[in-house]
Parts: sequence; structure tokens; C-alpha cells
Amino acid sequence: MNARTSRAMLAPGHELRAPPRPMTRERMRWYVDIQDTVQADTGRIVTQPPTIHDDDDYARKNGLPGIIADGMISTNWILGLLVDAFGPEAAGRGRLRTKYIAPVYEDQVIIACARVRNAVRDAAGVSVYELDVWCEDDAGKKVTVGEAVVHSTSR
Amino acid sequence: MADSERKTVATGRYTSDLTEGDELGPVEYTMSRFIAREYGHANELHHPCFQGLDDAIAPPTLVHIDKLRLYKVACPAGAGPSARIHYEFDATIHEPIRVGTRIRTRGRVTQRYTRNGRDYVITDMQMRAADDDRLLISYRDTVILSFKAQASGASR
Repeated sequence: MNARTSRAMLAPGHELRAPPRPMTRERMRWYVDIQDTVQADTGRIVTQPPTIHDDDDYARKNGLPGIIADGMISTNWILGLLVDAFGPEAAGRGRLRTKYIAPVYEDQVIIACARVRNAVRDAAGVSVYELDVWCEDDAGKKVTVGEAVVHSTSR
Repeated sequence: MADSERKTVATGRYTSDLTEGDELGPVEYTMSRFIAREYGHANELHHPCFQGLDDAIAPPTLVHIDKLRLYKVACPAGAGPSARIHYEFDATIHEPIRVGTRIRTRGRVTQRYTRNGRDYVITDMQMRAADDDRLLISYRDTVILSFKAQASGASR
């Protein structure tokens, strides 16, 4: 047995939780602004026309009470939680699936979570984790649900 | 509707016109340090791997931006009369997206269906390294078109 195969694995049922974060107007706008900014790739911020994520009037015209968050923010917060736990390998091989089951409104407090569903070590000594992932609010209501597969040589 | 007619409808207008079988792209660009870092900043992914301190890689969630790149080329008039919202993200990551990689992404609308009065569109995409065609990410995206009221999802 060597260091690669003897390291402790996270057991099924182990839960990871990120610190609570309010879904502020600023956080919603960051994801709006990033979309055209990275496509232009000029080093400057590129804005876009009003969206349901940054313009209350536009959101109300679409039947919403106000702006709601882009679901990709939740997905990215889950990715960040996995990279916190497993390192860059969580972003380099595996799977991440997220479904947005409820809108996230301005200032709703969101917590990214993951729970190990299954963990095995393959012949090469790589741990393969299957996880349930989700985001919930501070009342425990799930707003995003999904699953992830992470390949890890560190735990 | 003939394929040629369908393509005419879907291209140059709105994403609400997207129809099963529509081919999107490819789009090509270089995964720059700016793209990886800036996307990381916007999503509070302050990890050294995304910020260029370690072996710099891009967040794999950037494949969502590639969908928007494909939409911009195929449907430059935007969402249409009402907002479009993102319903599901499903990415299989085959290898890290290293900063500096030339990227080529293409997509295909594989399903369009109506459920509870809403139109859903599923697009299957492949992000590849343009130099040698290595598959980096395969991605399935589900959106609700012409969204109005009774929100159940939350993004573009």
C-alpha cells in the first residue's frame, strides 16, 4: 500500500457546505456583464441590453416580481465548493449536472452543498466520487439540484 | 418543412425559432487568461488554478458562454419577444481546458417539445481543441423559450 492508495476517502453521506451568500443585485449583474465581456475578450467590460437578471422593469414585463438570478451562478458556486474540497481535478475531469427548480430572488441567501453518494478507488488509485449537489436557501428550500462526478488523487 | 427552409427560419432571427435538427456553429476562439480569470472573478471562483497561479485552466462552466456564442451567430436578433431562461446544465468534462488552447465548439438542437404550455429546447454541444480535435467537454443544455410568468428556472 502506498500513499496514493492509503489516503482516507470521504465516506458516503459526507456533506460539504459552502458559507451562506446573499444573492445580491451585484452578484446577479456580474453574471450578466461577464457574458459579452468574455466573448469580446478585450480586457474591458462589455454590457448587454436589459435582462431579467439586472433590470426590474424588464423582469416585471416577463411576469416576475423583480430580477432573478441566472442559474449559472448556482452552478458555479457548486463548482467552487467541489474545487475547494478536491482541488483543480474537480474542474478537469468528471461531470456536473444542475437543474434550476426555483427562482432565486434578490438578497435570498444561498448555500451550495454536496453530499457523497458513492466513492470507489479505481485500479490506478484514483478516487471516483459520485455526489448529489444542490443549492438551498437559508430556510432549507432547494432551488437548484443535480449531481457530480469527481476524480481525485488527493483524497 | 424542408431542411433548407427550417435553416432559414432559425438563422438570423430569434432563439425562439430554434428547431430540432438545427446545427449551430462552429465558433472558434482562444481560451485566454483574461477569459478564465474574469469568468472566475464574476463567479467568485478565486482558486489559484483559475487565476493563473498554478497550471492555469478555465472553469468548465464556461461552456455555457459557448452556447451564447453559438446563439449569437445563429440567432443574432436575440431571445425573441419574451425572455429565455436556462433550465438545466449538464457537462461531462473529459480533460482540463488549459489557458491558451484554441477552442472550437459546435452544437445541434436535438429536441424541441412543449410541456405545461412552455417550449423546451435541448442543445447538445461539443467543445474541442481546434488543433487536434480533442474532446474537452460534451454538454447538454436545456432552455425554456419565450418564458412568461410562473418562473421555475432562472437564467439565460
